[in-house]
Amino acid sequence: MWRAMVRDLRAHRGRLAMTLASIVLGVAFVVSSWVLADSTAASVRATDLRSDVDVVVSGHDLTDADLADLAALPGVSAARGVLAGRAALVGADGKLVAGPHDTAGTGWDRTDRFVLTAGREPRGPGEVAAADGTELSTGDTARVFLADGRQVRATVVGTFGYRTVGSEPAPRLAYDQDSARSMFGSYHWIELTGEHIAVPPAPGRQVDTARALGEQATADAEAAAGSTRETLLAFAAVALLVGGFVIANTFAMLVTQRVRQYALLRAVGATRRQVRRAVLGEAAALGAAGATGGVLLGLALAFTALVLAQDDTEFVVSPLGILVGYAVGVGVTVVAAHACARRAATVAPVAALRTDALTPPHRTRRVRVAAGLLLVAAGVATVAATSGVDDLGTTERIVGLVGGIVAWLGVLVLAPELSAALRPVAALLTRLGGPATRLGARNALRDPRRTAATSSALLVGLALVCAFATLGETMVSMFGDTVRATVPATTTVLRPAAGDEPLGTDVLDRVRDTPGVTGAAAQRYGSATVATGGRTTVSAIEPDAFGTLLTPPLVAGTADLRTGFVVGTNEAAMLGVGLGDQVTLDFDGERVTRPVVGLHTTTEAQPLFYLDVAAAPAWLRDRTTTVYATGTDPAAVRTALDRAFAGRPDVRVTDREGVIDEDMGEFAAVLAVMYAMFGAAVVIAIFGVVNTLALSVLERRREIGVLRAVGARRRLVRRAVRVESLVICGYGGITGIVVGVGFGAVMQHVMLGRELFAISVPYLVIGVSLAGMVAVGVLAALWPARRAARTDVLVAIATR
Amino acid sequence: MCPVTTTTAAGADGLTKVYGEGEARVVALDDVTVDFHSGQFTAIMGPSGSGKSTLMHCVAGLDTPSSGRVRLGEVDLSGLSDDQLTAVRRDRVGFVFQAFNLLPTLTALENITLPLDLAGRRPDPALVDAIVAAVGLGDRLGHRPAQLSGGQQQRVACARALVTSPDVVFADEPTGALDSRSSAALLALLRRGVDEFGRTVVLVTHDPAAAAYADRVLFLADGRLAGELTEPTANRVLDRMKTLERVA
Repeated sequence: MWRAMVRDLRAHRGRLAMTLASIVLGVAFVVSSWVLADSTAASVRATDLRSDVDVVVSGHDLTDADLADLAALPGVSAARGVLAGRAALVGADGKLVAGPHDTAGTGWDRTDRFVLTAGREPRGPGEVAAADGTELSTGDTARVFLADGRQVRATVVGTFGYRTVGSEPAPRLAYDQDSARSMFGSYHWIELTGEHIAVPPAPGRQVDTARALGEQATADAEAAAGSTRETLLAFAAVALLVGGFVIANTFAMLVTQRVRQYALLRAVGATRRQVRRAVLGEAAALGAAGATGGVLLGLALAFTALVLAQDDTEFVVSPLGILVGYAVGVGVTVVAAHACARRAATVAPVAALRTDALTPPHRTRRVRVAAGLLLVAAGVATVAATSGVDDLGTTERIVGLVGGIVAWLGVLVLAPELSAALRPVAALLTRLGGPATRLGARNALRDPRRTAATSSALLVGLALVCAFATLGETMVSMFGDTVRATVPATTTVLRPAAGDEPLGTDVLDRVRDTPGVTGAAAQRYGSATVATGGRTTVSAIEPDAFGTLLTPPLVAGTADLRTGFVVGTNEAAMLGVGLGDQVTLDFDGERVTRPVVGLHTTTEAQPLFYLDVAAAPAWLRDRTTTVYATGTDPAAVRTALDRAFAGRPDVRVTDREGVIDEDMGEFAAVLAVMYAMFGAAVVIAIFGVVNTLALSVLERRREIGVLRAVGARRRLVRRAVRVESLVICGYGGITGIVVGVGFGAVMQHVMLGRELFAISVPYLVIGVSLAGMVAVGVLAALWPARRAARTDVLVAIATR
Repeated sequence: MCPVTTTTAAGADGLTKVYGEGEARVVALDDVTVDFHSGQFTAIMGPSGSGKSTLMHCVAGLDTPSSGRVRLGEVDLSGLSDDQLTAVRRDRVGFVFQAFNLLPTLTALENITLPLDLAGRRPDPALVDAIVAAVGLGDRLGHRPAQLSGGQQQRVACARALVTSPDVVFADEPTGALDSRSSAALLALLRRGVDEFGRTVVLVTHDPAAAAYADRVLFLADGRLAGELTEPTANRVLDRMKTLERVA
C-alpha cells in the first residue's frame, strides 16, 4: 500500500505543485512570525543591559548633596548622577518631532551608557551627540525646545548607541556635563556601583536594584514579543484556513480522478481502512514536504526582514518554531484531506469494472443545504436581534459579532449550492458570447462543488479584506463626520505638535490675547473610571465654549455644563443612564458626582463626557490638550494665530480638516498593514484557482482533443479556460465582497455602536478587488490555458 | 446503386509516415497513393498495425506526414500552420471517433451545431432539420450526452460530422463500442449521409459487416495498399482479410 501511495504521489507531482505552494506559503507565514517574535524578544534579552550599575536611585530634584550622601553609603564604590530633562527636537517643518521628549536630553559621561558610533563626544557649549535613529548625523544642527520654552541650537559632533539599565526610555541628545547641568538642572537618577548597598528610604525617592530593572525590561520585551507573535499568528491562521480549502479541493479532485484505481485496490483485497490510510498518508507526506519548504522559506523571509530592518536584531531560530511549522503543515493537510480520504474509502470494488465516468458518491447534499441555511438564518437572526443602537450593551455587541461569524460560516457551507445562482449568468454569457464563452461558463458550472471550493478560498480572503475596509472606511467617515459636527469650520484648533504631550498652560492665555480672538476655550482630555462601569473619556472645558467654538449635536436635555455632564448617547446606553441620573467619575481617586443634563451624539473617537472645567480635578485643569479659538473674522483669527505661534515648535495651529487628516493618516497605515497580511491569504487562494484549472484541464484532455479535432483553434481553447477562470474568480470575488461588506457592517455596528447599515462602502477597495479579480482570473488561467491549448489531438482522442 | 464520379474529395500522393528514430523507427505508412472519390462511401480495412488509422489521421489533417502530399478538396495540406489546419478541419472535414465524441457540457443539439458555432456560421435550418430527423433522436435533442445511450451518442457525433456539409466525413472505428443493433443504425446513418446528403465518407474499421455498407473497400497491410474491392459484401471482405493476415 505504502509503495503504491508513494509512487502515486510521485506520479502526480505536477498536479500537486500548487497545493504544495499553498502549504509552503501558509507554513512560511507561521514560521517567519515565530522567528521574528523570538528574535525581537531575544535581542532585548541579549541587548547588553548595563553591568556597571548595581542600584538606581530615582526621584525629583536629586542634588549634589544627595549624590554625596549616597556615595558615602557603606558598600558604594562609585556614585554617578545622571542629568536628564526635556529636550524636544524640532523637525524640518519648525514643529516638534514625535515624542517622547521628557527625558530626551542628558549629559554625556564615560560610563557604559554610551557607545560612540560616529564622530566624537560633545566637549562644550554648542556641541551635542545624537542617538542613532534620530536622523541626525555629524555636522547637522540640532534645534531643541527646552522645558522652560528656551530654544537652543547645537552642532552634532557624534552619534551614539545607548544602553539602558532597564526599560527606561533612551535619551536622544547628549550634551557635555556643564551644558546639560544648565539645561536640565537636577539629576534625574543616581547610579550606584558596589556591594551590599542599603539605601535608606526617603519620601519621593525610589530605589531599585539594576538586576530587578533588567529583569523587568526582559519580561516586558517578552510580553511584547508574545503579543506580536499572537497578532501575526492570527493572520497566519487565516492564510492556513484558505490553504486548507485549496488542499481539500485538490484531494477531492485527485480522488475523483483515481476512483478506478481505488476500486482496483479494493477489488484485489485492500480494506476501506487501508484505502483511507493511503490517502491520509499521501496527505501527511505532502504536508511534510510542504512544511519543509515552508520552514525554509519562513526562515529566509524572517532573515530578510531582519536584515532590511537594520536594527542589529539577532536572528534566533527556536526548535519550537520549526516544530510548530511542521505540525501546522502536516496537521492542516491531513485535516483538509480527511473528508476526501473517507470518500475514497467508500468506492465500491465493482467501480473498477465499470467503463462509464464515475464519481464517488456524495450523500451529504441535503444535510449541507439544511446546515448552511440554518447557520445563515441563525446568524442573520442574531444580528437582527442585536441591531438596536439605543440599548447596545457589551453582551449584545459580542452576540452580534458571533452572529455575523455564524452567518459567514453558513455562506461557506452553502457555497456549492449558491453557485446555482451562476446558472442565469452562464445562460446570459452563452447568449451574448461566442462558443469559447459558452464552453468556459458551462465548464465552471459543471462541478458546483469544485467551483465553490475553489472560490471559497477567495471568498474568505477577500471577505476579510472587505470587512476591514468597510470598518476602516466607516471609522474614517465617522471620525470626519463627528469632528465636523463638533468643531465648526470657523474654529481654529491648536494642538500639541508632538503627539500626546499636553500643551503648555500659557497657550490659552496667549490665544486670548491675540488680536481678533473673541472666544477661546481649552479642552482638557483625559480618562476616568465610571463608578458603575469601565473607563471612559472626559473633556473638561469652559461651559461657554458650547455653541460657538464647539457644537456637539445635542439630542436631549441642555448643553449647560454648569449644571452637570453632557454625555454621548451610546456611552449613556452602555452605562444604562439617562437624563437626570447622577453619575460618579473617579479620576484616579478624586471623585466627581454630577447629574446627566444633556445627551449628544458622538463616537468613541471623541470625548464621551463633557465636564465643566471648574468641577474638574486640579491636575486635569492644567492638562490642556486642545485650544479652540474663533473671532468675528475667523480667517483673520487663523492668520493671527499662525503668526503668534510661528515661533512655538510645540504648538500646531490647524483647523478641523487638519485634525481629521492628521489623525486618520496613522489609521490608514494600520489598515494598509492589515490588507497586506490578508493579502497572503488571497495569494494562496490564487494558487487554488490555478490548481483547479490545471487539474480540470488534465481531466478534460479528451474533450479538448475532440474540440480541437472538430475545428477549435488553440486560441479558442485558451479563451474557454480563461472564461472558466473568470467565472470562478468572479463568483468568489463577488460573494467575498458581499459577505465582507456585510460582516464589516456587523463589525462597525458592534465596535462603534452605530446603526447596522450606517456604513461607508469602501468603493476604492471594492473597485480594486474587482479589478484584481479580473486580473487574477486572467493570470491564473495563463498556465492551465496554455497546457490545454497544447493538447495533442491524436493522443487525446486515442482510445487506448 | 452508387453515383459514378470522377472527381476526388481527398487523396494522398506518396504518403509516408515514420515514427521514432534509429532502433525505435517504425514506418507506419510507406509511400501510399490513394484517392477518395466524391459522393462515395469508402472503407479502409487492414489488420492491427497496418497503418489504417494513421492514413486517416494524415488525410484528415490531424497528423502531419513525414513526406508526400495530402489533398483535401482543392487544398494541399502540406505546409499549413496549426490554425490553418484547424480551419480546414472545421470547414472541410467531419469526424466520428470510436468513443468520447461529445462535449459533456453541451446538449445533443448544441453538440451537433458546434462546428458551425466555432466557425461563427449560421446553421442552415433546413439542413439541420433534415440531419436531426435522420439521427432520429426525437425529443432527446435537449439532453446532455450523459443522458443518452452509446448508440445515440454516436449518431449525434455522426450528425455533427454531416452538419457542416464537409468535403469528407472520416469515421474511425465508430461502431467499436456499440452492440450490433446500434452499429447497424449508425452505419445506415452514414450510408444516408452519402445517398441523401451527397457526402463523401471514409470509414476505418476492422469489422467486415461494417465494411459491407461501403461502395469500395481499400485494404492496407504493413503500411502499404494491398488491393481494393468494389460492391463488397461481408463475406468477400472477410475472405480478403483472411488472405491478408495469412500473408502478414
